[in-house]
Amino acid sequence: MSHIIAELFPPSTLRLFELIADVLIVLTTVSIVGVLTYTKKWVWLWREWLTSVDHKRIGIMYLIAALVMLFRGGVDALLLRTQLAFPNNHFLGPEHYDEIFTTHGTIMIFFMAMPFLFALFNVAVPLMIGARDVAFPRLNAVSFWLFAFGALLLNISFVIGGSPNAGWTAYPPLTELRFNPSVGENYYFLSLLIAGIGTTITGINFMVTILRMRAPGMTLMKMPMFVWTVLVTGALIIFAFPPLTVSLALTLFDRLFGSSFFTLGHGGMPMMFVNLFWLFGHPEVYIVVLPAFGIFSEVVPVFSDKKLYGYPIMVASVLAITVLSYGVWVHHFFTMGAGPGVNAFFGVSTMLIAIPTGVKIFNWVLTMWGGRIRFTVAMLWQLAFIPAFLIAGATGVLLATVPVDYQMHNSYFLIAHFHFALIGGTVFGVLSGMYYWWPKMFGYMLNERQGKVAFWLFFIGFLVTFVPQYMLGLEGMTRRMYTYPPGLGWSSLNLVSTIGAFTQGAGFLVIVYNVLWSMRYGERDLTGDPWNGRTLEWSIPSPAPEYNFAIVPVVHDRDAWWDMKQSGKSEAFKVKSSAIRPVHMPKRSAMPFLLGLSFFVVGFGMTFSWWVIAIIGGLGVLASLLYGAFDYDDFEELDPEVIRRTEAGLGRLQA
Amino acid sequence: MAHLSNQSHHAETPDHEDRIEIGSLTPHFQAHGFPWKQVLGYVASLLLTALAFVLVMNHVLPPTALIAVILVLAVLQAMLQLGVFMHLRESRGSAWQVIVLGLGFFMAAGLIIASVWIMMFKAGVS
Repeated sequence: MSHIIAELFPPSTLRLFELIADVLIVLTTVSIVGVLTYTKKWVWLWREWLTSVDHKRIGIMYLIAALVMLFRGGVDALLLRTQLAFPNNHFLGPEHYDEIFTTHGTIMIFFMAMPFLFALFNVAVPLMIGARDVAFPRLNAVSFWLFAFGALLLNISFVIGGSPNAGWTAYPPLTELRFNPSVGENYYFLSLLIAGIGTTITGINFMVTILRMRAPGMTLMKMPMFVWTVLVTGALIIFAFPPLTVSLALTLFDRLFGSSFFTLGHGGMPMMFVNLFWLFGHPEVYIVVLPAFGIFSEVVPVFSDKKLYGYPIMVASVLAITVLSYGVWVHHFFTMGAGPGVNAFFGVSTMLIAIPTGVKIFNWVLTMWGGRIRFTVAMLWQLAFIPAFLIAGATGVLLATVPVDYQMHNSYFLIAHFHFALIGGTVFGVLSGMYYWWPKMFGYMLNERQGKVAFWLFFIGFLVTFVPQYMLGLEGMTRRMYTYPPGLGWSSLNLVSTIGAFTQGAGFLVIVYNVLWSMRYGERDLTGDPWNGRTLEWSIPSPAPEYNFAIVPVVHDRDAWWDMKQSGKSEAFKVKSSAIRPVHMPKRSAMPFLLGLSFFVVGFGMTFSWWVIAIIGGLGVLASLLYGAFDYDDFEELDPEVIRRTEAGLGRLQA
Repeated sequence: MAHLSNQSHHAETPDHEDRIEIGSLTPHFQAHGFPWKQVLGYVASLLLTALAFVLVMNHVLPPTALIAVILVLAVLQAMLQLGVFMHLRESRGSAWQVIVLGLGFFMAAGLIIASVWIMMFKAGVS
């Protein structure tokens, strides 16, 4: 017994922050359970949310999870910056620092950026193409629950068993069992494997949805730009995740079953892991940034009162980025020394990507050119994105120059570069999208004034954090060093960077306040079209009814809803009572939740090599899959009377 | 059974919108009863994987021959899965499938060939 407790709670989980986290987790859990029991909401939670297969609800659950993970990853970042604020600081020890930068990176990429984007995929894509759900609604819920339980598995590592500590890239031999015997890395591999299954399914699901379920008349070249980017993101996911899965699974075999794929001895090839990881890792960058491009391509036309400039070229550049993004991965490890031929090839291919990206930036600017720009919060994030991403791209081209990269590799210059790309691109993008689609998700607007305060705090904090890091990189500071001596010229830059990080934290808190305030006092969106939008999701009420479209719309133009409004047909879009017919709706199901839970048990058991628990979880997986495979009763008809009543209640029924 | 009746119901209503929506939401294979094909395909896939594992685990063949054999087993399994699970022969036309399969093959081959090239370490220095 004491042996098990020692394994579950090694000394690394008994430090101050871990104990504080323990207390917070217990308090939060108790209060959530208490509130649910007191208000008798357990059945509601189960029926309306945990077993829901409605894409809008799944999107909202993704959004909540992503915001919670943004908080966790952000706290990690603040701990790191506090440690680095002063030379010779001992706020965190070296091992502790390793663990925290590892979880910061892993959580921000896999459990914040991706679910945040999937939230917006789920919320917006079916509505934008005039569909009533995604192609495989139950699989969509499976994706969410695999992500959620994968995220849970990684997060409990902080307080049970010990965090992973080999960086978000988990290079061997740092992950090799004989150098890293704690269970932390097992958590990393298993949680990413579980969440990765969900991600792959999401990629397939949205590709099929977009290719098969568009409203009549919506040809590929009439799709909203966001839908295009989701389509190619699906393609990127389908090709990028298998190499990740293989590299994670094989390392897990090395650690748990004594194989030697990536070990130093016995003929293993550690650099092959690096190769496979970045085969995934570079397309991953585009998986998280292309949808953000898509969001901006929706936001800019709406708030400039103009159609998107150069739509066909935008589509072409997205496709070009997709193809090119598969040919650049070696730029993450030029210093491996594969040889001048290899490095030159991948350096040039990397620079090529700047061309379609530059084309897109010009197109956004030209869309705004001469437009009537409204400086809403969604638009402000877009306006901040352009200079941020420009700097990220320009420094990226610098890093793509192989001899320069040998100097800059793994310095703070690189850290600043990819934070400019991932915050300036992805985070600004998802926040823009969140403010833009919030009324469609919840039926009320987020307060603009508070949103602007949050924006300025976050944007200024972002610049103050990362501009000094470019300079630190040039001054020779390398990544992942837990402290540094005084007198290297790094001290004041590091202090400024830390101040910037806390300013970003303050910006995040204002966003949270903004959400909570607006829940209660925010302006209700009664029109369904608060921004004078252009695409189909604004043609239906906010929040969208369960069946989305009472009648599937027919599309004639690229900006379908704008076209209807301009040609005076938006009134005719009101539903005729007689035209409403029964709608085929997917039934809610407990299978996705139980499947995710079973996978969690498998993951937990395998992490500690407790095979009985892992096998019990595996049986749960098998049972869930069998049940799902043979449950044919998964659709139901929605009574047209319900639709009539809903639409009449919203004043949308034609007499 | 409820599903079968649903399908026949929709076959009777030749409405364009509904056909798009329901045709893509509903899988069709259950109309043929118990999915023996899929179950057998799954079992066969497991067997092929187990066979490859046993061959490698017990060093049955010399290394080069071993690699060749497990490659053949992998290609067999890929074809099996394309046929059984990916509905390769159930579609109306094969033009799209040829394009997509070709693209997939091109991507996979490109990534593998490039990986081999990268890992040869033809470094001018070092």
